[in-house]
Amino acid sequence: MSTHDNEILRADSLYHVYESNAEDGNVVALRGIHVTVYDGEAVAVIGPSGSGKSTLLKSLGGLMKPSAGKVSLAGKGLTRMTGHELVEHRQNTVSFIFQDSNLLPHLNALDNVAQPLRHQGVLPGEARAKAQKLLDRLGMGERARGMPEELSGGEQQRVAIARALITEPKLILADEPTGALDPITSREVLELFDTLHKEEDVAFFLVTHNRDVAAFCERSLELRDGRFVAQHGTDVDISDLSGSRELIIDDTGTVTLPPDILTEIGGPGRFEIPDIVRDSLNLERVAEERIDIDGKAELILAATCPACFHDYGDSEEQRCPECGSSRPMVQA
Amino acid sequence: MKERLLSMPDNFRMAVKSAWRGRERGLAIFAGVFLASLVITTVLAYSVGLSQAFLQYSLENDTFDAKVDFADEPGPDADGRTNDSVLWESMCDDFVVMEEFSDCGIVYGRQGVRWSGTFGDDGFVVPQPLNVISATGSTGDWANVSWDYPEAGDFGPPINDQRIVRFYGDGIWDGELGERHAKQVLYGTWPLPDDASSNRSILLPLRIASQAGVSVNDTIDSLTFTYVTDYLSFENINDGFDDCRGTARIEQSGYMFCRVNMTVENLRVAGILSEAGAGNPTLLFNPLIITDSVLSDEQKLILMENDHGYLGLAVDRNLVPTSSTNDAQDWLVKIEKQIESATYTDAQIEVEYNDLISSTIGFLEFFLALIQLFDYILMIPIVILSFSVLIYGLILSLEQRRREISIHRVIGGTERGLTSMVMSEVTVFSIVAWLSGYLIAMLTVPLVLDAVGFMEFRASDIDVNPVLSLLSTIFTVLLTVGLAYLFGYGRTKEFLNIEIDEGVRKVSAKSKPKYWLHTIIFIIGLLAFTDSWIESTNPGSEGILTGFFIDGVVKLFGPFCLWIGGALVLGRIGAAGPKIFSALLSWSPAISDIKRGLRGSGSSESVSRLAVIMLLTLSIVTLAAVQGYTGTVVDERTASAQSGADIQVQFTQPVTEQEAIAIVTEAIIRADDSEVKQVQSATAVSSIFTNPKGEGAVLTTWIVFDGHEDTLHWDKQSIPGDDIDMVVSQWSGNGFTAGEAAVEILDIDSDEVYFTFEYKEYQYEGLSPDFVPIITVTVTEANLTYMGKHEWIPGLSTTETEQSLVVGENTYRQMVGDSVADSFSSSRWFFELCDQTDDNCGNALRTLNAELTADAETSSVTDWSSTHREVERNGGLIFGTPGLLSLQFVVASLASVASAFVFLSLVLTQRKRELAILQAIGASSNQVIRLVLFEILSIIMASMAMGVALGLAVAYSFNGFFAVFGFIFQIFGGQSTTISRDLVWPWLDLGLVNLSVLIAVVLALLYTTRRALQADLAVVLKGE
Repeated sequence: MSTHDNEILRADSLYHVYESNAEDGNVVALRGIHVTVYDGEAVAVIGPSGSGKSTLLKSLGGLMKPSAGKVSLAGKGLTRMTGHELVEHRQNTVSFIFQDSNLLPHLNALDNVAQPLRHQGVLPGEARAKAQKLLDRLGMGERARGMPEELSGGEQQRVAIARALITEPKLILADEPTGALDPITSREVLELFDTLHKEEDVAFFLVTHNRDVAAFCERSLELRDGRFVAQHGTDVDISDLSGSRELIIDDTGTVTLPPDILTEIGGPGRFEIPDIVRDSLNLERVAEERIDIDGKAELILAATCPACFHDYGDSEEQRCPECGSSRPMVQA
Repeated sequence: MKERLLSMPDNFRMAVKSAWRGRERGLAIFAGVFLASLVITTVLAYSVGLSQAFLQYSLENDTFDAKVDFADEPGPDADGRTNDSVLWESMCDDFVVMEEFSDCGIVYGRQGVRWSGTFGDDGFVVPQPLNVISATGSTGDWANVSWDYPEAGDFGPPINDQRIVRFYGDGIWDGELGERHAKQVLYGTWPLPDDASSNRSILLPLRIASQAGVSVNDTIDSLTFTYVTDYLSFENINDGFDDCRGTARIEQSGYMFCRVNMTVENLRVAGILSEAGAGNPTLLFNPLIITDSVLSDEQKLILMENDHGYLGLAVDRNLVPTSSTNDAQDWLVKIEKQIESATYTDAQIEVEYNDLISSTIGFLEFFLALIQLFDYILMIPIVILSFSVLIYGLILSLEQRRREISIHRVIGGTERGLTSMVMSEVTVFSIVAWLSGYLIAMLTVPLVLDAVGFMEFRASDIDVNPVLSLLSTIFTVLLTVGLAYLFGYGRTKEFLNIEIDEGVRKVSAKSKPKYWLHTIIFIIGLLAFTDSWIESTNPGSEGILTGFFIDGVVKLFGPFCLWIGGALVLGRIGAAGPKIFSALLSWSPAISDIKRGLRGSGSSESVSRLAVIMLLTLSIVTLAAVQGYTGTVVDERTASAQSGADIQVQFTQPVTEQEAIAIVTEAIIRADDSEVKQVQSATAVSSIFTNPKGEGAVLTTWIVFDGHEDTLHWDKQSIPGDDIDMVVSQWSGNGFTAGEAAVEILDIDSDEVYFTFEYKEYQYEGLSPDFVPIITVTVTEANLTYMGKHEWIPGLSTTETEQSLVVGENTYRQMVGDSVADSFSSSRWFFELCDQTDDNCGNALRTLNAELTADAETSSVTDWSSTHREVERNGGLIFGTPGLLSLQFVVASLASVASAFVFLSLVLTQRKRELAILQAIGASSNQVIRLVLFEILSIIMASMAMGVALGLAVAYSFNGFFAVFGFIFQIFGGQSTTISRDLVWPWLDLGLVNLSVLIAVVLALLYTTRRALQADLAVVLKGE
């Protein structure tokens, strides 16, 4: 954990709903996210596809407005900012790096790097000088005049990183920064991140699938179905998260159990807390729900609906035709 | 602020750079703005050029633009006058330094005109010219020359009806005035000032020269003319002159003038002048012109004393404002005031400025407005077309920047910064495009004005310099660059908004095209089309629409509705081309493997846009070609109806065929043009009076003689039915045709075909004993068959033929007898000489016309070529309208080829991913190319076929509009026979354009598809 106390990024109760024409109605991407990133800290977000990682990143960076919730960047809330204020605030605090470098195709490397400063109104000469310096530092000095299409994937990503750094941001938001790179190049990129992180004290908030990337961060947050369920330390192993998992209970007291834990404790249900003590939480399933799990339990579809007592008879239906409740499995 | 200023050059550099790198997407914006700029500038500059050309054309016969006289009449109390001709002439220096004037010189001729009012006033009628009364010379037969010039009275107010003479000072022989005069020289040359004075030059009007039988370099021993010393008006004519030292006579104008003779000697003929038509009457017409160096100082003094000396000025006609005739008149009035308000030289000379241009302009005003209205309407489709190319181009090109803009936003681009970035690129493109369009239009306009037919051009000697005013230029910028800017701005704003809510991805209900609106527009267009179709096929019927107002509105807007609605509705069918063709060709093995790929095609927006653009452009191409060709043919037919034959000669008295041919043959020999060697055939159209048996009505009956069809240019519209040969043979049998009014007089209904006509010959037998004249009447009868209505006889006006019958020679002989028929003579003869549509023949005909006009035995001559040129300038499609149609044709053809190319590239770039997927799932490149070729070609071919069909229908719909304006122009042009506009279909040109579009499309397809296929599949598929 970082020793810094100043928050650079804080999000409270972020919700986001995508409108959709699909039969199931709208899609909920974020369900009450709480997250805080401190100055100079590197945080990774890990989680399966569709868990809402990219939506989260965009919401945090002020690229889109979440449906509900509050994001504050460097101490200022983004939610209420007007377009212009928002852009200006972003310019001063945050940069983005994407999976594909997203360079401007009609500008050469140097102009691509200088572009963010140009957007801030820095004079062209000054901006280019700074860009050249940065490219030199990233070992791209000789390729500064190359057009994006002439650069290799790794080179493009370096240019993108240089572009992200030129504004001297306090926070870099990165969406799978090594996703499109071969292992060797991605290791180089990570080393670069590491140097920056240590030398420049830049905070990172990364979305990744990559073990190395996650390992580079001081902590990793596990995102599932739009919620942070757990946190991991530097020892995170993406292929087996259970080893390093620390469950999160947020400010509202919500806790979400990852599916593997849920299965292990015997599925959802009601739990008692027999002894409430500081720094510990012990849950016990209420007595009437406890199932004797001696031997292999055989589960079959319930014969009647627990809600409206509809009799399913011989039918194999999964849903109650009368009240729509899902048909539970019961001990045979 | 400072930062913004300092960054400006770099921002501009970046905009230019990114414009250049993104030139493919820019091409669409460029094409749109360029087209719009080209078309709008051409139309505006054409208007300016038209005014200039029209002005020049009308002033062609006027060599002087202003006559400057002394402000006061001569007399003891006169102020501000001088009799010193050298001093008077020196004032020219003051005028020529003014930019409004290009040349000036002294002229001895008509007396000072001090008048403001109507042409009938004293001030205008009284001032007299110098009249020639005799000449002598060893080489010419001067006794044979008539110095009467009665035509002068027909051309203008009754000022003088004798041949006039003018003496020109040095200033007039050279410079602008020299050039203008030189254009009137038929034979010989217009001499320079030194040659004129050393050779004692004289230039003679053609008729004088031919009557005297003198030619260039012949000498004239002496020439006597009269000048006027005094006049009396009718109130005091009886008092008589106190001291008239010459002859006193009451003249045509009703005034009595005292004329004194003056003689000049030893003149040498430097040239023969054409007898120009009527111009401004102030200076009178067609003078003999002599250098003033033949006048002695004493003679000059006398002429000055008697007010015969004036200054002739040439205005720089290019400076006359052409924006409107009012502006031109204001400009002229300003000069007049400026000149008249000053005094000149030490002698404090005051002048009266007689402007000769403004009276010409007055007439132009209304006519020009009408032509411009017509031409503006004519160009509406192409303007709409260029705007639609512009808008489609902008949409497509901005669409391509979507991703780029979102990247910029991520790296901190502000809305304002990004808008200005996109807009500076749009601006760079559109300014370059506007400028190119503007410049090319400026170069095109003179060509447009030189057009004499559809895609036919002939350089005229009219010098047009169409410069657009600053205001008009700004207007073109606003309309093109401004529109691109506004539209681009709105579109960019929209993009930036989308990107802000990017994640929200609202279920944006994409506004569906308003198909119902398209259909309604199309139906209105079809209604108008059907209505005019019914009206034209059943003359007299009112069509479907009966109300005057509704009928008029639908007729006016119908063609436009048909065009736009048709393109939108048929565009959908065009887009469905692949489905149609694959259904048609489903048996073919060539497409069996790609059929599945075709199933979803044609649905995308860009494909249907492509179809709509093809329809719009190709229908305009068709419209322009059809109307242009039709106009050209109508002009030729009008010329044929007017002149009747290659040449029509009106003799001063009736002559027989042999005599007529002899006179023309002599003229042919004199003209000595290798194109016309002899008269190939000749005919006359005679007339007698007949009456239907038993009825009193007497009808003029025209006789067409056997063989007339070899000479007269008959037109299908002039005869009943459309088989000229059949009608000709029926006439030579006992058939007759009747004019519209004659049919009513005879009360012919359709069943009745046999008529008996009587011809009465009255024979004067002397006087009876009680002095009553004895007249015997011989009545001969002829039984004739009614063939139908005739409209006109070539060379005769419709009014001459409307109330009359036409019969053949056979009938004529039956009625008048062979002896009368054999000794037939007529004062009007028609001649066949060469192929009139051939240019060389046309030149020969015009030369022959000049020769025959000069002949004393003819009174008027009309040749086909001159008539045709006249019709081209004043006829059915006036001054450059064929040029506008040609321009429309060329521009729309280019637009269709270019937009096929540009839009295809863009459409296919958008589909790169789809093609890559096809390849990824196993389609071979061959299959992909075949798929794309088949798909796009079927869209293009379906659109082409419908575009041409739509164009033909639109051309038909527009015909009413053309006919109305054509009719008005013909009336203004003084033409009596109006040809109705039967459409002509120029299949060859249409085929060529469609073929080139097809070739362009195939090339574009191969190029873009190959490029798409060569792209790295993985890169394309990785997505954005």
